[in-house]
Amino acid sequence: MKTNSITRKFGKMLRLDVTYTDHIESLKITGDFFLHPEETLDQIVSELTGVTVPIQEDLLIRKTKYILDSNEAEMIGISVEDIINTLEEATQ
Amino acid sequence: MKKFRMITFQYFNAFTNMALDEAIMEFVRKGISQPTIRFYGWDPSAVSIGVFQGVRNEVNLDATKKAGVDVVRRLTGGGAVYHDRLGEVTYSLIAPLDMFPTNIIESYRLICDDIIFALKQLGIDAVFSPINDILVNEQKISGNAQTRRNGILLQHGTILYSVDVETMFSLLNVSDQKISDKLIKSVKKRVTSIVDQTGASMEELKKALVMGFKRNREISFGDYSDQEKSRAQELTKERFNNEIWTFRL
Repeated sequence: MKTNSITRKFGKMLRLDVTYTDHIESLKITGDFFLHPEETLDQIVSELTGVTVPIQEDLLIRKTKYILDSNEAEMIGISVEDIINTLEEATQ
Repeated sequence: MKKFRMITFQYFNAFTNMALDEAIMEFVRKGISQPTIRFYGWDPSAVSIGVFQGVRNEVNLDATKKAGVDVVRRLTGGGAVYHDRLGEVTYSLIAPLDMFPTNIIESYRLICDDIIFALKQLGIDAVFSPINDILVNEQKISGNAQTRRNGILLQHGTILYSVDVETMFSLLNVSDQKISDKLIKSVKKRVTSIVDQTGASMEELKKALVMGFKRNREISFGDYSDQEKSRAQELTKERFNNEIWTFRL
């Protein structure tokens, strides 16, 4: 089992704390970004927890965007691509 | 003109301040309370963190405890803020979402324009800097944060009266960087305050902010209702002064 914490500055800060084996065991997404409604982040974390490593970036971007769309959510300061690309980097 | 209640400056602790915001949101949603603009300070001084921030990542909890500085997680996103008891005026604006542009940045701009107008009354030329800041000569003088829930918009923000960068750095964790003189000087260059810009007093700042937020609204001055205060007490206990909320991330 590996753990990694990675912080990246986009429009706002994004930090991922991830524990993984051949899949994501646990994931924490933190930062000073905005997301309305805020509860959408819990769904994104839930979606990404358990996915296989190495991650399939395109698939996860699509799934995460679907969560935003279905919640009519708006993320400001970071993008879905920022989250997934950082997750890919954190699990390399 | 849209009708608002305005509650003039009062001090509360960090937990009550955030709980009052949420309580007013609930009562505005129910149609019991009018849309509200409130001004307040933090007693004791406090650190507030954004709803998505990790408290241990952002705050030096040993230092805040030693200094008697409260730590509270906000309902809104954005970054960690040190709220000095004597160093700022904070406002909250709580109103139905349909009073504001759907576009989030435009709604920030609309509300921040009232603060910019207030600063202008003090002789300070400030500009809105998306996403959520107000700058004077590229230096931040006001930070703002917004949430939208159940049809209600809450925007709160600080207007810096004076800045104590050394204290701020002793309480906040700066990501993997040592707090060097060089770094503090760099932050000083990026942040400004009323004291840095003008000889205006705190009272003059408060009056200017009242003028700024009054100019496009029909204002009636009021106070917190007993219902709001009672609900705020519950929310303080259930959420804002509760470690489950504070340490959730």
